[in-house]
Amino acid sequence: MPVLVRIAFRNLLEHKAKSLIIGILLALGVVILVVGNAFMDTAAQGVKDTFIGNYTGDIFIAAKTKSPVSLFGVQSVGGQEATPNIPYYDKITAKLSSEKDVTGVTSQVTGFALVSPKDSDKQGFALLFGIDPESYYKLFHNAYPLEGRLLKPGEEGLMISKHMADQYAKEAGFTPKIGQDLILTGFGKAGFKIRSVPLVGIIGYKTASDATDFISYADVNTVRILSGLTVGNDPDEPITAAQEQLLNASGDSLFGGETVVAPSAVRAPAFGAGAGTGAASKTPRPAAQADTGAWHFIMARVKNPAEAPALALSLNQWFASQGIDAQAAGWKSAAGPFAESIDVVRVVFNIAIIIVAIVAIIIMMNTLVISVIERTGEIGTMRALGAQRGFVRKMFLVETLTIAAVFGVIGVFLAFGAIGALNLAHITASNPFLRILFAGDVLHPAVNPLSVVWSLVLVGLVAVLAHLYPVSLALKVQPVRAMQTE
Amino acid sequence: MVIVELQDVRKVYPLGKVEVEAVKGVSFSIEKGDFISIAGPSGSGKTTILNMIGCVDRPTAGTVIIGGTPTKDLNDKALTSLRHGTLGFIFQSFNLIPVLSVYENIEFPLLLGKERLRGKERAQWIDYLMEEVGLMQWHDHKPNELSGGQRQRVAIARALVTKPQIVLADEPTANLDSATGEQILELMKKINREMETTFIFSTHDAKIVGLADHIIRLRDGTVTEDLRQGKSAAERYAEGPGAAGTAAGN
Repeated sequence: MPVLVRIAFRNLLEHKAKSLIIGILLALGVVILVVGNAFMDTAAQGVKDTFIGNYTGDIFIAAKTKSPVSLFGVQSVGGQEATPNIPYYDKITAKLSSEKDVTGVTSQVTGFALVSPKDSDKQGFALLFGIDPESYYKLFHNAYPLEGRLLKPGEEGLMISKHMADQYAKEAGFTPKIGQDLILTGFGKAGFKIRSVPLVGIIGYKTASDATDFISYADVNTVRILSGLTVGNDPDEPITAAQEQLLNASGDSLFGGETVVAPSAVRAPAFGAGAGTGAASKTPRPAAQADTGAWHFIMARVKNPAEAPALALSLNQWFASQGIDAQAAGWKSAAGPFAESIDVVRVVFNIAIIIVAIVAIIIMMNTLVISVIERTGEIGTMRALGAQRGFVRKMFLVETLTIAAVFGVIGVFLAFGAIGALNLAHITASNPFLRILFAGDVLHPAVNPLSVVWSLVLVGLVAVLAHLYPVSLALKVQPVRAMQTE
Repeated sequence: MVIVELQDVRKVYPLGKVEVEAVKGVSFSIEKGDFISIAGPSGSGKTTILNMIGCVDRPTAGTVIIGGTPTKDLNDKALTSLRHGTLGFIFQSFNLIPVLSVYENIEFPLLLGKERLRGKERAQWIDYLMEEVGLMQWHDHKPNELSGGQRQRVAIARALVTKPQIVLADEPTANLDSATGEQILELMKKINREMETTFIFSTHDAKIVGLADHIIRLRDGTVTEDLRQGKSAAERYAEGPGAAGTAAGN
């Protein structure tokens, strides 16, 4: 064994108290890092799998926007920027179909609406994904009917999530029933649009998540009309006083509570503007027609998800070369605020780690300084016997790295033990934040081997940083110190 | 052959706002193979001179020449190499590395240089030295398991392991009882004769001073006496190996 390693190990054993102080700090650091990263990674993987497998696909394409755009629309300040239609939709889908890595493509229009039963003042809010059921179900299999059935291809109708149905019952005061015509009031770029649509299903999600439980689905044309993606609008459509009141309602009041429009503000039959079939199409007035070519987003799955970023890059280059104002991105952009929430938690965790690391460096540094002071005679002797400064530097570095390695490995074992215990403890999430953090209802953290490696590297780095000042003191020890009687 | 030469060496230490002149223009020379004592009372400048010969301290003025090399303009790295290649040290407090065994302490200087004895050759050389200093049965013991005399024997073997031309010993018997001190000096003298290593030791013990061939007496930082007793190393060598052996017995 090289002399430096021999000296290092024996000094660790010789100075047990100091070694333990430093070692416990390092081991604790590894435990925090490995367990914390296991939480983060599990949460991030859970959100990623949920979104890619159920909502966003691997590739997400939207029209270019000034503000960030996600599956939920443009996230602009004050909601000023509307979600634009994808330009050259057919050209883009043809391009995607020609990509051999792409296994499936579907498209979506996202809209918002107030939901109310016919002849009722009670209203709730709905986030609506307008889909083409045929292609959508091929890509995403998360929704399943709890009551009624799933929306059929070409059918006009609405599927609301169980979570939202319960919320309507609890907070808006109405219980949606299968087959019931519900009035949807949309507020898109062309003003308010009202549709009467039958409720075909109350759905659950195989992968339940607070991030997505409030999503409901409707046929794409319904959402297009509610979002103002129409052709042939009747500009002379008269509005009533009640509609006037609705138009004057502030954005905050619309989204701030479950009942946001004054009673009797909307009476569906009076100005129902159904574009297709259904009770609401009794009106003799010309109906607004959905722009059947209009889509907000295209989502695609690929064979190898690891290749998705490269494909997104190549698509963006192709958009630029073709002069198409569109953008391709990965699932994170598509998931928007929900992916960001995980990133925010990770940033907070990393800041906490940095603070812990600084404290650890200071404590370790002080301990090592004491060690250098105690070993001044020994260092002086080594220098007198012919040890160059480099030898002294290496000696302290090897000691520091040895202690980091020994206690780092102990920390890894402790972390695995802690994670095993957490998995056995079957800890359930008691609030939405924890459900996101746990990536489900029960905490099942899993260790990523790479994070173990990184944790050890980071702890090693902390140890190296902590030894720099003490070693600078050691290098100042002159060989003449060996001659001075202790 | 002169192996150490001091020419008008001065050493001044700052002590608060005043300066203390520990060595005041000292000049003397030491021949190869000398067994020399630098003697004098406490504060006479013995250790300071030894430090400057040992290249662990620099003179304020004057020149120190070791093996023909003036040390004045050497940088830290060159001085360290000179110490490792030319000098061996025996300290008053033994200064063994506490975490290393007897064998490892003796081996330690060999691991510092670029030119190293390898494997078996190294082990044989260390075993020979251990045999010479009578520590073979203490091979794997740690310094704290040894007596003062045994520790100093380890230090002597360590000082010799790089086959230095000069061994410096700063009051090597100060922490030993008189009988052990004499044994240590006898051992040093034996090695001096057998290996032709120059030994320079400081002491204020008159009894020990008497064992030296060459005595330099100091008082208040100046040389008061530079005395040779018996034959010089050069004379012994001129007379041949038998004469050297006879001298060792004196």
